[in-house]
Amino acid sequence: MSGIIEVENLSFSYTPQSIILKDVSFEVMPGTFLAIAGPNGAGKSTLLNLLCGSLVPKSGTIKIDAAPVESYSTEALAGKVAVVRQEFVPVFGFTVIEMVLMARTLYYGPMGFERKADKEIAVEALEMTDTIQFASRPLGNLSGGERQRVFIARALAQDTAILLLDEPTSFLDLKHQVGIYDLLKTAQVERGKTIVTVTHDINLAAQYCDETLLLEGPASCLSIGGLQNESRAHSNYHIGKTKDVFSTEQIEKVFGVRTFAGRIGQEKFFIPLGKFAKDSRQIANKPDSSQQK
Amino acid sequence: MRIEVMIELLTPRKLVVRIILAAGALAVVMFICSLVGTESVSLKAVFGAADEEAPVNPDYEIFVRVRLPRIILATIVGGALACSGVVFQALLRNPLADPYILGISSGCGLGATIVVISGLNWTLWGRSPIAVFAFAGALGTVWLVWFVGRLTGKFHVTGLLLAGVVINAFFSAVIMFLTSIAKAEHVYATIFWLMGNMTEEDFLTLWLGAGFVVGGTTVLFYISPQLNALSFGEEDAKSMGINTARTRTIAFGVAAAITAIAVSLSGLIGFVGLVIPHGVRLVFGPDHRQLLPLSGIVGAIFLVVADTVARIIVAPAQLPVGVVTAIVGGPFFLVLLVKYSRKVSWLK
Repeated sequence: MSGIIEVENLSFSYTPQSIILKDVSFEVMPGTFLAIAGPNGAGKSTLLNLLCGSLVPKSGTIKIDAAPVESYSTEALAGKVAVVRQEFVPVFGFTVIEMVLMARTLYYGPMGFERKADKEIAVEALEMTDTIQFASRPLGNLSGGERQRVFIARALAQDTAILLLDEPTSFLDLKHQVGIYDLLKTAQVERGKTIVTVTHDINLAAQYCDETLLLEGPASCLSIGGLQNESRAHSNYHIGKTKDVFSTEQIEKVFGVRTFAGRIGQEKFFIPLGKFAKDSRQIANKPDSSQQK
Repeated sequence: MRIEVMIELLTPRKLVVRIILAAGALAVVMFICSLVGTESVSLKAVFGAADEEAPVNPDYEIFVRVRLPRIILATIVGGALACSGVVFQALLRNPLADPYILGISSGCGLGATIVVISGLNWTLWGRSPIAVFAFAGALGTVWLVWFVGRLTGKFHVTGLLLAGVVINAFFSAVIMFLTSIAKAEHVYATIFWLMGNMTEEDFLTLWLGAGFVVGGTTVLFYISPQLNALSFGEEDAKSMGINTARTRTIAFGVAAAITAIAVSLSGLIGFVGLVIPHGVRLVFGPDHRQLLPLSGIVGAIFLVVADTVARIIVAPAQLPVGVVTAIVGGPFFLVLLVKYSRKVSWLK
């Protein structure tokens, strides 16, 4: 089980006028937990869709385990990459176990029924995500946090080296946010999975993710305009160890929001400061407190 | 230490048992309904025919030439409509979908109207031109809707549904225009055909129809695990390794074809394709591996009973069976809906 993602000079645009991703190159080594962060419209979900083959790059290549994504058949790619998407369409009242088993559809026997091994894998995924007690309940009857764990269980049941997630903690309360990230970390540590997650939560990313890809978004790209893009081609994203990528300056530059940075042990945390935050000006004018130490 | 959790799953054995039970019920219903009618038929007289020297055995004539074809026809049409209803609901991820939603009804209606009004009277393999034109109209319309839907870019459920609605409305307008300029008896014939009717058919047509419907349903059953995955949307199914384009094309093609066969045999019979899949889903769950075969059989039972009611309730006159399916099916469905709605989250 490997799980290497190599992205080289990747560019993508929905229309010729607005380039979403420009010349992005990075590598995700097996067993790495990578966060993709950035403002709305920066191309986070687009990048995720490119990684799983839902979208085709305008130029550049994406390789999964040394072969280009588009060279895989749908079936073969599903054996390498599992995806947890944001939107959920509740249809027809499938139960939790029925849905998790669907991840095994590829491996069903000739009669179109799951084999014993498929059932074991599905049950194991439910146990790992602590959702086994809901197995026989319709998906629509679960709370948002429970449902998200079930979707992760389905992705785990697909038994792939790579797991892609699009904002897995949006709409979840604090407890469930932490629960989801604990679960993902467990999958990374115990199963050696390569995990790539799109997130808006820089603090969860700081706490859990080894590396971060921070996308600046098309705005900075457009403002330079036209051909001059070339010279600044590499300046619209940052990749590296999470603790190196995030800093108050970087966050202010990318998100346009001032933050108050604090440190707990090795990890930096950021509190965003709005216009009405008490003494925000005063705090923000101070030098980055994390750098003082 | 692993906690054993009771998980009930559909197994091949359970499925086979249920299908056999349902098929048995269908056989019983067909048998009983073949004996019910305005004329009482004695089985002894039907099969004792060979002994007698009488030139015509009325019991045999009624049973074999009138009732049996009609019951077989109802079985075929009911099964086809229910199965394609299941498929359209799955593909469009819309509980309101039925076999006619993508324009099949207006397409075949238009075909039939053109034939009636132009007064064509040739036959093709013993089939009246109405059936042939209705079949062609139905398939042509589905193709047109599919084509227009594709123009909206990627396969888009909403685009397809809107294309279906618009084309349905347009063809309905054409039908209304044609009937408004037609002669009165032509109008009556058209309307009667559109209401859905089980006229007696010759056995060759019946066996051919049955063959296509059973074959089509088998193909649909074969892709039913993929239909399950497709219920969660295009992208989700794809990331689970489903070849969505192939599954969709096969499912749409086959469902449209068996619907077209059904409508060309019997006209437009409403409600079966909407109510039966829902009813079966409410009771047995949404797994298409089970939903498809059981809906087919239950749809057949339903239409056989409905047609029997249509034959006898206002005897010696006969009701169009479409009237009965709607009147019987509506309240029946409401009872199911109220009783089981707690089980199904997507109704909330």
